[in-house]
Amino acid sequence: MKGTSLGEFEELVLLSVGALFDDAYGLAILDDLQKKTSRNVLISSVHKALVRLENKGYLRSRMGGATNVRGGRDKRLYTLTPAGVSVLNEVRELRNLMWKNVPKIFWEGGKA
Amino acid sequence: MSKQPTPPKWAMRFFQWYCNDHLAEAVLGDLIQLYERRSMSIGKQRADLLFIWNIVQFIQPFAIREKTRQSHLNLITMYRNYFTIAWRNMSGQKMYSFIKVGGFALGLATCIVIALFIRHELSFDRHYEHVNDIYRIYNQTEGPEPGKWTAFPAPFVPLLKSSFPEISLAARLIPYNWYNAGNNLVRRDDQIENTYEEGFAYADPELLEILEVPMVYGNRASALRNPNTIVLSKEKAEKYFPGQDPTGKIIVLNDDVKNQTLTVGGVMENFRPTSHLQFDFFITLSGEEFWPGEQTNWCCWNYNPYIKLRAGTDPAEFESKILSLKKVYVDYLVKEKNQHVDDVRKYHSFKLQPVKDIHLYSEGIHDIIPHGDIRYIWMFGGIAIFILALACINFVNLSTAKSANRAKEVGLRKVVGSYRSSLVRQFLSESVLYSLISFLLALAILAIGLPYFNKLAGKTIDVPWNEWWFFPAVIGSALMVGIIAGLYPSFYLSSFKPIDVLKGSVARGMRNSSLRSVMVVFQFTTSIVLIIGTFIIYKQMNFILTTKIGYDKDQIIMVHGINTLDKQQQTFKDELLALADVENVTLTQYLPVEGTKRDMNQFWREGKSQEEKSHGAQVWHVDEDYISTMGMKLLSGRNFKKELASDSSAMIINQAMAREFGFDEPLGQRVMNWRTWNIIGVVEDFHFENMKGEIGPLCFVRGNWGNIAAVKVSTDDMHKAITSITETWKKFMPHQAIRYTFLDESYARMYDDVRRTGNIFASFAVLAIIVACLGLFALSAFMVEQRNKEISIRIVLGASLQNIFRLLTDQFIKLVLISFVLSVPLAWYIMQKWLQDYKYKIQIGWEVFAAAGIISVMIALLTVSYQAIRAALANPATNLRSE
Repeated sequence: MKGTSLGEFEELVLLSVGALFDDAYGLAILDDLQKKTSRNVLISSVHKALVRLENKGYLRSRMGGATNVRGGRDKRLYTLTPAGVSVLNEVRELRNLMWKNVPKIFWEGGKA
Repeated sequence: MSKQPTPPKWAMRFFQWYCNDHLAEAVLGDLIQLYERRSMSIGKQRADLLFIWNIVQFIQPFAIREKTRQSHLNLITMYRNYFTIAWRNMSGQKMYSFIKVGGFALGLATCIVIALFIRHELSFDRHYEHVNDIYRIYNQTEGPEPGKWTAFPAPFVPLLKSSFPEISLAARLIPYNWYNAGNNLVRRDDQIENTYEEGFAYADPELLEILEVPMVYGNRASALRNPNTIVLSKEKAEKYFPGQDPTGKIIVLNDDVKNQTLTVGGVMENFRPTSHLQFDFFITLSGEEFWPGEQTNWCCWNYNPYIKLRAGTDPAEFESKILSLKKVYVDYLVKEKNQHVDDVRKYHSFKLQPVKDIHLYSEGIHDIIPHGDIRYIWMFGGIAIFILALACINFVNLSTAKSANRAKEVGLRKVVGSYRSSLVRQFLSESVLYSLISFLLALAILAIGLPYFNKLAGKTIDVPWNEWWFFPAVIGSALMVGIIAGLYPSFYLSSFKPIDVLKGSVARGMRNSSLRSVMVVFQFTTSIVLIIGTFIIYKQMNFILTTKIGYDKDQIIMVHGINTLDKQQQTFKDELLALADVENVTLTQYLPVEGTKRDMNQFWREGKSQEEKSHGAQVWHVDEDYISTMGMKLLSGRNFKKELASDSSAMIINQAMAREFGFDEPLGQRVMNWRTWNIIGVVEDFHFENMKGEIGPLCFVRGNWGNIAAVKVSTDDMHKAITSITETWKKFMPHQAIRYTFLDESYARMYDDVRRTGNIFASFAVLAIIVACLGLFALSAFMVEQRNKEISIRIVLGASLQNIFRLLTDQFIKLVLISFVLSVPLAWYIMQKWLQDYKYKIQIGWEVFAAAGIISVMIALLTVSYQAIRAALANPATNLRSE
C-alpha cells in the first residue's frame, strides 16, 4: 500500500479532476469542491494538493485555455493518469471491502 | 478591459518573485480570476485585501522558487580564487594594504576598548541574586533649594522597617568620615604597631544580607549582630591575621584600648570592582549611640538607608507609601518651631533608587560615593562609533580610489561570464578578509594597549579572552564590519561596464571624488572636534590647578594620624615649629581638600531660630595658626588669640557666609546654632569643595586639637624638611610609621576625574587624527599616481616645485578648512555643555579654535606634502617615457 496512500483531501481533488474532465484547473476544482462539500477550501491547499499528486504521478498537466477573465493568463489543466485512475479504484475497492465487513445488523440497528 | 479592476501590482510582482515557474502563471491566473469575481461581489477594497491574503497563503515550500543550485565544488573554488586574488592585491600594494589594515585595526581596537569599558560600567551592581528587590532611599527636595541626598536621621530606618511589611530587610550605612567611619589607625590587640587603613564604614547587621556579601568566615546574618563587632574584608584579614580564622579576635582602633576595641565578627570577600560600595571594614551600628539620644532624634541626618523589598512589591507604589513617614519629620520640625517646616511639607519627598542604577544614574544625588556617569557612557559610545566610522571611511575611500586598478579585472571577469552578483560576492569576501586580518591585529593592539587605557581611565578592565562568547562575537563583528565596509566598494566596482574599462575610458576613479571629499571632511571634522575638546578640558584642568583658590596649597605637608598623640599634640606642634625649615604649623581636622572632615550646621541670627529659616554652613574647628599657615586672607576683623579666653565663642566667617546672612558689616554680629557666636573676622572665600559647586558658607571656630598637622615649610629642599619632621615624629611615636601627604597633591587628586577625562580625550583625539591621516596619506598618494603624467608635463613646461606642491595640496587643505568651519560650532556646543558642570570655569576663547585649526591644517599639510614633494621632485622623463 505504500506510495498509494491518499489523504482524504487528495482523494477529493483527484475525483474532482476526474469529474471536471477537460477543464480541471485550480479555481474550477476549488469551486467544485466548495459546492459539493460546502466546506471553505483554500486556493493554496488545492494547488498544494495538485502539485503533490502530480509528483506522485497520479496527475498530468499542461498549460492552456487562457481567457480574458484571468488577465489573459494560461491555466494549468490537469488530467488523471492511469496510475491516478487505478489509485482511485484501489481506494474505492478498499472501502467496499470494509463496508462489506460491517455486519448488516449494525446498519439496521443504526436506522432504528 | 481597462474598466476591469486589477489587483495591486506590487503584490503580483512579489508573487512572481517568490513563486516557482511551474505554478506562477497558472496560480496567478487563478487568483486574478478569483479576484475579479470577488471585486464584483464585495468591492475592490476587500478583494484587494483577500488577494494579498491569498498571496501570503502561497508562501509555502511547494510554491517557493528553488534556489538556482550551484555546484558546491565550484563555489569553494570560486571563493578560493577570490581569496587568492585578494591576497595578491594586498601583498602587491604593501603601503595601501598596510594603511587599510592598520587604520582599520587601530579604529577597531579603540572601539573594542570602549565597548569593554561600557560593558564594565554597565555591569555595576548587577551581580546580586535579588538585584531587582534591592533599593536605596534618598531625599529629594524641590522648590527654591532643590537637592537630592542619601542621608537620613537614625530613627528613620527602624521606623520604616516596622511600618511597612513590604520590606524584608532594611539597614543603615555610614560611608563617610564620621567617628570611626572613614579612616583609622589599626592594630591587633596583641601588637603595638599601628597601621593606617582606609575604607571603614558603619553598617547595620542586615546590610551584609541585603547586599548578599559573600562570607569567608562567620555567618552573614550574625556577623555584625553583637555590639562592637567588625567585619573585615578577606584582604585585610589576610594582612592582620594571615592564614587563620580571625573570628572572635580583637582589634584596636587609633591606639585607643579603652573605647575603641572591636571584636571580629567575620570575614567577607573583597567587594567586587563592579560594586558601588568599596569597603574593607564594616563596624556594626548595633548598640551604637554616638551621643545620648542620638538614635531617636530627627535632628541629624547621617544614615544611608538600604532596603530589600519582598518579591512582587511594586516599587512605585511603595515609594508613594513611605511618604507617609514625612509626617513624623514634620511633627519634629513643628515641635522645634523650625521655619523650614512649610518647605518640607511642600517639597520634601523620599525616593527609591534600584541598586543597579546607583553607579550610573546618581547624577545630582549627593552621596560621596564615586560614580560613573551615564552621560560619559553615551559620549564614549559616540566616540567609538565615530572612530569606527573613520576607519570604515578610510576603507571605503581607499577601495574606491584604487578602483581603476581593479577595473580591468572586473571587465575581464564580466567578459568571461561572471555575474554581477558574484563580483559583489568577490569584493565582499575581499573586504571580509581585510576585516578579519584587521580584527586579529586589533586584538593584538588591544592586548598591548589595554593596560595603558586602564591606567589612563583608572579602571580595571580585562579582555574577556576566556568567555565563551568573546571569539564568536569578535568573528561575528569582523564579518559584519567587513560586509558593511565592503558594501559600497563592491557595488561600485562591480558596476563597471566591460566595454568601457577594456577600452580604457573609465574616468580613473575621479567620478566619485566628491563623495571622497565628503568623507575626508567627516574624518577631519571628527578629529578637530576631539582636538578642541581636549584643549578645553586641559585648559579647565589647568585653570583649576593654577587659579587663585583663596589659600596657598604649595609647600604644605600634612602629617596624618596625630590624634594618637593625644595630650602631646601641643608639644609635637611646638617641636615642629622649632625645626629650621618649618614656617608654621596648625592642628586641625578640617582642610580644603577632599578626605578631611566636614561639619554642616544650621545657623540663625541670634535669637531668631524660631522666626527665621536657618542657613547651612560648615563649621571648622581650627587653631590660631590656621589662617596664617594656609595663607588665607583675613579681609576684616582679627584672628583668634591664644590668650583670649573669650575667643572660645568667637567666630570667623567667610564672605559667602556674610552674603548668606546679608551682613553688610559682619563684625560684631552674633549668630547661633546650639549656642551663640560672636563674629570677629571675615576671611576671603576659598575653595574647599570641588569647583563644580559654588563656594558655600563656612565659619571657623576655635579649636586646638586635630588629626592632621599641616606644616608649612619654607625651603626648596623638601627632602630635608621631611626627614626632620619624621625624626620629630619618631620621638613621639616610635611604634607608628609617619604618614604624610602634600596638600597640593591632595588638591590635584580632587580633580583626577577631570585629568582622566582630559587624557582619555587626548588619546582618542590622537587616534582619530592618526586614522584620518593614514587615509589622507593614502589618498594623496593615489592622487599623485593619477596625475603623474599631468605633473610631469607641467614640470617639463616649467612649473616650479612650489606650483606643483600647491597644485597637489590645495584641494586637501580646502577640505580641512571646511571641516574646521564645521567643527567649531559643534565643538563649542559640546564643550559648553561639559563646562556647565563647573561653577568656576574658563571662557572658551577663540585661541583654542585657532590653535586646533592651525594644528589640523599643519598635520594635513605634513601628511600630504610627502607625496606632493616626491611627485614634484620626480624626473619627468621616467613618467613620460612610455608615450
